[in-house]
Amino acid sequence: MNADFFRNVGVVLVKEVIDALRDRRTLLRLMVPAVLMGPLLLLALSGLISSLEERAEKREVMVAGMDHAPTLRNFLERQTYTVKAAPPDYEAQLRKSTLLEPVLVIGVGFEAELLAGERPSIELVSDSSNQRASSGVSGLKRLLQGFNQERATLSLALRGVSTDLLQAVSVDDRDLASVQARATRITVIIPMFIIMAVLYGALTAALDSTAGERERGSLEPLLTNPVQHLALVLGKWFAVATLGMAVALIASLSFIPAQWFLRSDSLQAMFQFGIPEVIAFLLLQLPLAAGLGAVLMALAIRSKTFKEAQAGSGLIITLVGLAPMVSMLNPGGDVPWYLWVPGLSQNTLMMLVLKGETLTLAQVFPSVLVGALLTLSCMLYVAHSMRSAVAR
Amino acid sequence: MIEIVNVSKQFAVSGPAKPFRRVPKQTIHAVRNVTLSAPNGRITGLLGPNGAGKTTTLRMLGALFQPDSGTIAVDGIAVAQEPRQALARMGILGDAHGLYPRLTARENVVYFGRLQGMDSDTAHARAQELSRLLDMASILDRRAEGFSQGERMKTALARALVHDPANIVLDEPTNGLDVLATRALREALRYLKSPEGGSKCIVFSTHIMPEVQQLCEHVVVMAQGRSVAEGTVEELLAQTGQTQFEDAFVKLAFEAHDTGATV
Repeated sequence: MNADFFRNVGVVLVKEVIDALRDRRTLLRLMVPAVLMGPLLLLALSGLISSLEERAEKREVMVAGMDHAPTLRNFLERQTYTVKAAPPDYEAQLRKSTLLEPVLVIGVGFEAELLAGERPSIELVSDSSNQRASSGVSGLKRLLQGFNQERATLSLALRGVSTDLLQAVSVDDRDLASVQARATRITVIIPMFIIMAVLYGALTAALDSTAGERERGSLEPLLTNPVQHLALVLGKWFAVATLGMAVALIASLSFIPAQWFLRSDSLQAMFQFGIPEVIAFLLLQLPLAAGLGAVLMALAIRSKTFKEAQAGSGLIITLVGLAPMVSMLNPGGDVPWYLWVPGLSQNTLMMLVLKGETLTLAQVFPSVLVGALLTLSCMLYVAHSMRSAVAR
Repeated sequence: MIEIVNVSKQFAVSGPAKPFRRVPKQTIHAVRNVTLSAPNGRITGLLGPNGAGKTTTLRMLGALFQPDSGTIAVDGIAVAQEPRQALARMGILGDAHGLYPRLTARENVVYFGRLQGMDSDTAHARAQELSRLLDMASILDRRAEGFSQGERMKTALARALVHDPANIVLDEPTNGLDVLATRALREALRYLKSPEGGSKCIVFSTHIMPEVQQLCEHVVVMAQGRSVAEGTVEELLAQTGQTQFEDAFVKLAFEAHDTGATV
């Protein structure tokens, strides 16, 4: 390796970047989803959360058969709740998700049974496939528990028994999660979009500079230049990784204006995504952009056409793009091997950044090592395959 | 100066496909003991029917793959041993000559100039010079996307000649060109061969006889992977006892070597 080698890498890099940037239509199709998708999802989520918050503030209960339970009504009203009558077809509405809150169903004999001490039952109706309705269930349960407790306390007090007996243990809540950590319940989707942005940014460039070059018949003339094959490959790879990083940068930046529009005040307070986070995110993407760019090029150099390469890369894109799902389906259960899997490791590390934690070298090192190894092996493979790709 | 001595190349190709069965590989002798010597200041034609092994020979010359046996040297540099030094002395317009559609003709030419080790200014100056020689001023700053066949060929040729190589290798360059474009190309090649144009060594493969008659001082006839005859057009006519070059070619390429069927 000498100055000549690096000069050639630079020449190829500049040409590939210019070539990719001239492809306006492809760029546009790449940028629009990268820039819009994440923020739009964030906005939708914030809408959902703010409507939940509104409901908590509204203090309303939907009841069918309130007239059968004056004592309960008295309790609810003392807790400053407003009682709303449930529509007659509440079951059907809940199933269709047109009714968005759970319904309390009270039987005809409720009041008499309650007074006789016969433990009347109340039905708490919701539909677990109706997310908004089922999220209201726990609040209602707490409310009914309060009613139970009040009744029990009264009965015991009448008999001269201390109410402390009802609570052998007193429970105090202490939440250790920082404000940002709580927000990650919602922001868990952001890293996935950044990873997707890297993949799609690198994908077209990787395929165009290998399989595309072959399909156009420009790879053969390129190889008749007295340039080391590794220099050609490295120049192309630099361009691919750069484009992946550029799209990731734009996608990350798009979350900054997105948070100005967050409708939920509490979410806005919790979700802090500024320039330091963007920089941390980008640094974490470097091994992914480098490693996957190289893998995609290695896959594509064996393909005769762009289309063939695209079909071949589909699996990689899906696997890496959906890797974050592993940790989403298993929240809080991060396992050490996550840090060794491309895509999953970036997701895990970005979640830590969002939680406001400091990353240690031991956490970052595996992804860097994996990225470097992938890059090195794939680059050597592509350099080796280029000539035989043309010779066939 | 290009010297190809006794070069052979065989390929393994798949036979007819059969479902659920391994297809046995067949061996094709693409090139068998081909010898060609092209001195400077001369246009050497490589004439042969389709599938005669012309492209395979020229691709070995371009270091895309190595011959099984025999040697190829460019200005005394062995292609197999020092491919990059040899490539620096050659301008190759191969069978595949795709351009970058999103770059202009000038950018296409300059890119290859830079890869040939030229600095940016020299490469640009050279692109300008070639645009005069090949009459491509009107397309120089247009993107290659919408180029006609002739414009594409001119750009590809300019790209191959950007480093002013002493040896020029052209594989069927007139394919798909109209009369005017072919004429222009012929003029350009004549100029490059002449002392004013630098007395280049030009190797030119084709299956079109009039082109050979009009352009080449020396002809090597290839058939079924072998070089079957060589000489000037007149010598080949005399050798076969024909008056028409086409008849001479058919005799040389198809009749004399019927026995040498592909194994």
